Amino acid sequence: MSAAAAIEVDAVVTRFGTQKVHDGVSFSVPRGQIVAVIGGSGSGKSVLLREIIGLMRPAAGRISVLGTDVLRATEEELTALRRRFGMMFQDGALFSSLTVAQNVATPLIEQARVPAHLLGPLVRLRIALAGLPPEAAAKMPSELSGGMRKRAAVARALALEPELLFLDEPTSGLDPVTARAFDQLLRFLADELGLTIFVVTHDLDTLLGIVDRAVVLAGGTVIADGTVKDVMRVDHPWLRSYFANHGT
Amino acid sequence: MSYCRLDGTTLSLSGQWNLAHIADIDAELGAAGLPASPIRLDGARLQGLDTAAALALLVRLGRAGATIAGLSGVNSSHARVLDAVRERMDDGAPGVRRRNRGPLAALGIAAVKFGWKLHCHLEFLGRCVAALGEVARHPSRLRWKELAAQLQHVCLEAIPVVALVTFLIGMVLAYLFGMQAEKYGASIFVVDAVAIGATREIAPLLVAVIMAGRSGSAFTAQLGTMRLTEEIDALRTLGLSPMQVLVLPRLLASVFALPMLVFVGDVATLAGAMAISDPLLDISPLTFIGRVDSQLAFRHVAVGLAKASIFGAAIALIGCRAGLTVRRDAHSIGMKTTSTVVQGIVWVILLDALFAVLLQELGI
Repeated sequence: MSAAAAIEVDAVVTRFGTQKVHDGVSFSVPRGQIVAVIGGSGSGKSVLLREIIGLMRPAAGRISVLGTDVLRATEEELTALRRRFGMMFQDGALFSSLTVAQNVATPLIEQARVPAHLLGPLVRLRIALAGLPPEAAAKMPSELSGGMRKRAAVARALALEPELLFLDEPTSGLDPVTARAFDQLLRFLADELGLTIFVVTHDLDTLLGIVDRAVVLAGGTVIADGTVKDVMRVDHPWLRSYFANHGT
Repeated sequence: MSYCRLDGTTLSLSGQWNLAHIADIDAELGAAGLPASPIRLDGARLQGLDTAAALALLVRLGRAGATIAGLSGVNSSHARVLDAVRERMDDGAPGVRRRNRGPLAALGIAAVKFGWKLHCHLEFLGRCVAALGEVARHPSRLRWKELAAQLQHVCLEAIPVVALVTFLIGMVLAYLFGMQAEKYGASIFVVDAVAIGATREIAPLLVAVIMAGRSGSAFTAQLGTMRLTEEIDALRTLGLSPMQVLVLPRLLASVFALPMLVFVGDVATLAGAMAISDPLLDISPLTFIGRVDSQLAFRHVAVGLAKASIFGAAIALIGCRAGLTVRRDAHSIGMKTTSTVVQGIVWVILLDALFAVLLQELGI
């Protein structure tokens, strides 16, 4: 495990028309940690995530993921990079015409050389790692509840043994018990498999329970960056009401 | 590169055990000749172990009948990966098996499904008629704005394409008839043929086919997307009827729009024929118009316009029905849209044939 940061974001500026979403956002994510980005609705968390994984381009700045400069990389370099991270989209973004098992198998078939007799067990292992019951494998995404769809999406994101996992609001729409189990899954992935996890979340329980570092976005800049305890001490109106509303 | 070596009852692992090398690891494990007895794992030289490789090891051990008697030199994180995988491994029992059915059972299932589909179509038709009846009693319940918007999409915006296509077909018809009629010195009858053929058959059919492709597919895609995004459920919970709000405006718009478009088509077809008759057959525009006036009975035009209304209703019903039955996956909406266009065109031609026979018998 190299000492370099898994993600480095430096002075990123994003504009939508005349509206400035990010005005010089900088932070870095060390390897093997769970880092959460929090911020109010419309503070550009999801946009930042999409920029980091290369789905959108910021107007200015530098973003480096696992040592690759995302904004200056060639298409081949980006493809190679994409095999090294997994992404869970907010609503799962499962392929709706494939079963859960086929969804998980897709990246394995497309990107990895897996012996045929291991494909089935590997898919079932991913599904079990994501905390889904074995019966879920044969179901279509439209037959799953919201929480199960998220888990299926995690199973697909884990398919290629990523070094880095991105999650967009993983616990939203889950019941508290399932959400905490989900948090434990993330902690397990970080501790046991050495994954770096970058999570956009609103969930204070996730933040207080499992997150190593938090980055707080407000008004287009990073207003706090550090351990959760550090962040809680930062005096900012949005942060005060965030922690107050959750009744800590 | 060697990943494993078997010494008696000790399996030594070495190197990077990860997904990228899983094919080689699996092959080496297969060739190692694992015994059907407890073995010890030595992981002192193991540099990395991910869940995929751990699975490959456990699957191979399980298949050989070997069990893990103990670990030595395996660092704690690798041991935890191994445990995590072992806990979550299943015994390989497939979840759901599809039963194989005999041909008779398949036929029965197909018949029941067909019957159910027919039942659902009839129910939809019934709901449409009920909604129409309600609107007839309370005209204020009709969404007039939506109707106007649909009329704009279905009728006004279709005029250019309808006019262009029918104009060209008019030219082609006059040219084809003219080539033959000229041999007999009967050029003037080209006007009769084009006028009657176009207004009674060609224009209604062409317009209906264009509308099946243009508006029928749009209805399916619009309603299908609304179903996917749960907008139709939202309408219902707000106490609005999707029939009143979505289906009726589209149905009425099609029923009104098609005759208007067919009228545009009639005029454009005759204009096309007229344009080519002058240079090709020496029939001047004035002669052409005079001949149309004396030979084209109003009933031909009326039959064409009346048929168009019914084609319009068929296309709208097929399009809306397909849209409302879209299942919640991306594949379904494309299939339903295709099926709308195909069914729309087939039904228009079937209805047209039915009318041809019926009107012949009635002598209209």
